[in-house]
Parts: sequence; C-alpha cells; structure tokens
Amino acid sequence: MNEDLSDEALMAAVAARQQQAFRILMGRHMQRAVRVAQRVVRDSAEADDIGQDAFLRVWSHAASFDPDIARFTTWLYRIVLNLAFDRTRRRPLAPIDEASDISAPDPEPVERLIADEERRALEQAMAGLSERQRGAIALFHMEGLSGEEAARAMNLSAKAFESLLARARATLREHVEKIQNPRRYA
Amino acid sequence: MTLDQFRKLAEIWGGDIDRWPAATQAAARDMAAGGEAGRILAEQLRLDRLFSVAPDVSDDRAGRIGFAVLQRLAKADRNPPWFRRLLRPASFVPAAGLACSAMVGLWLAGELPYLQQQEALSVVSMVFDGSAVTLWGVQ
Repeated sequence: MNEDLSDEALMAAVAARQQQAFRILMGRHMQRAVRVAQRVVRDSAEADDIGQDAFLRVWSHAASFDPDIARFTTWLYRIVLNLAFDRTRRRPLAPIDEASDISAPDPEPVERLIADEERRALEQAMAGLSERQRGAIALFHMEGLSGEEAARAMNLSAKAFESLLARARATLREHVEKIQNPRRYA
Repeated sequence: MTLDQFRKLAEIWGGDIDRWPAATQAAARDMAAGGEAGRILAEQLRLDRLFSVAPDVSDDRAGRIGFAVLQRLAKADRNPPWFRRLLRPASFVPAAGLACSAMVGLWLAGELPYLQQQEALSVVSMVFDGSAVTLWGVQ
C-alpha cells in the first residue's frame, strides 16, 4: 500500500476492506481526532474512547463516505464531534483535565510560567463553554480550519457557525480575563 | 468599513485578517494600517494564540489507541453477531440436510404404493406401542 495516497484514495481502499489503508489513515489522523475530542469532553480517557469509536465508525461506514461531498478530515471531524457531543450530553458535569496534559512548546522559564498560567486559565475558561462552543474553538483555532470548513464539519450554516464562534470567543475572553484579573470582577 | 465593524469582525474571526470572510479582507487590510485597528488586531492575536493551544496527544498514545481499534476489529471478526453467523455457508448445512431428508421422505411417501396390511401394521405397533407411551415418557 502506497503511503503517499490521498485520504480519499485510502478511504476507497478501506471500503474494499483493506486493513493496511485503514492503518495508514489511523496513523495520519488519530492524533487530531483525539485532540478535538479531548478539547470538547475535557477528559483524556474519554477522548481516547472517542478516538477508538470514531475510527471503528470509519471502518464500518467507509462505503458511505463520498469524496465528492466532503473531504475525509471534514467527515472525520463530524464523526468525532457527534460522538463527543453524545458523551457530554450523557455526562453533564465534566471533570477538568490537568493542565499538564496540554502541549507546550519550550519557551524560556519565565515565559513558560506565564504561558502555563494562561493555559490553566484557558482550561478553566473552556469549562464555561457549551460543548458546541468548545467544538467551534477546537476546529477554528486549534485545527486551523476555515469558517466554511468548520461549519461543514459541524453540520451548520456559515452564519450559524459565525454566531457560535462569536459567542464562544466572547465567553472565553470574559472567563480568561476573570481568571487572570479576579479583583476587577470581584 | 467603520472601526466598530472592524472590531466586531476581529472579535469573531480573530487577529489574522487572512482568516476573515473573503469579502471583508481588502477593506480590513486598509483599515489595519491605522493605530487603533492595529491595537485591536494585536489584542485578538494574543487571544488567538491562547485559544489555539491544543491538548497533548503523543505519538505513543495515538499508537495505543490505533492498536486498540485493530484489536476490537479482530475481536469482532472472531465473534460476529448471531445474524452474521447464521448467514455463513456452514450454518446452512444442518438446515439443508433436514430439508433434503424431508423432501426424500415426501417423495417416497408419494411414490411408494399404499398397502394397508395387517402384518405391516403389527410391525409398526410393535415398534411404537401406543399403550406404553404416556405424556411423561415411555413406560
């Protein structure tokens, strides 16, 4: 199996039950699937389960994937988000993951302290968002999707995604500022 | 584009004008040269950087999850659901055998002459003694 094949070509092979193609796809996209899931459910063990379930769905529903309608990543994000939203609906009170689970580049010590502080603030602030708002932040900011791509992945109109993102950013900003400047909001 | 419109767009789409809706980008770039617009963008960029921080998912962790997926697929192949097991060719052998026996029996019943002889009936009676059979078993 040629590892340079596009995701869509690999999906055609997965639909023909070629496990090697499936392994390549998992190698390429498992990290992003788990990352997005973890951003939404805020629990690493649950994010791992969602990653597994998402790829099991990719395997079992491969025949229904149509590359003319969506890119593979858009389809995968949609599967991951649906699974994550289902889980958060079943479990309304989500635990907050440790900030140590967050990837950090490698800045200077003082900068790192500030960065860690900000990341902790972000994690706490994320808890104040709805799961759909966390999904919008994950796709647009973390994964770098365009507004249109993110709207497609969330099965929303461009306008609906825009207002979801606007609310998410405004709420996050407010929470982060509250956490960083508690006196001003006391 | 007014400064308020610019601020609103920046608050929605962040500090990178390249990621704003295409129709607004040219006007936004013209405005971004100004001091206040530049300050708005810088503030939103700071938030963008914060919002783009991703949870850490190491290669090892992703590999373990992928391996678990393959294990679950292998397990599902070993223990398919009952309706899949029924559709396997091997599962048709007993049913097909029974059907063939029934067809042969029916064919023989139709083809062979019916002779009600006392001797034949007595042989049947000997084998299946009606008086010795009860609801609770053979006496």
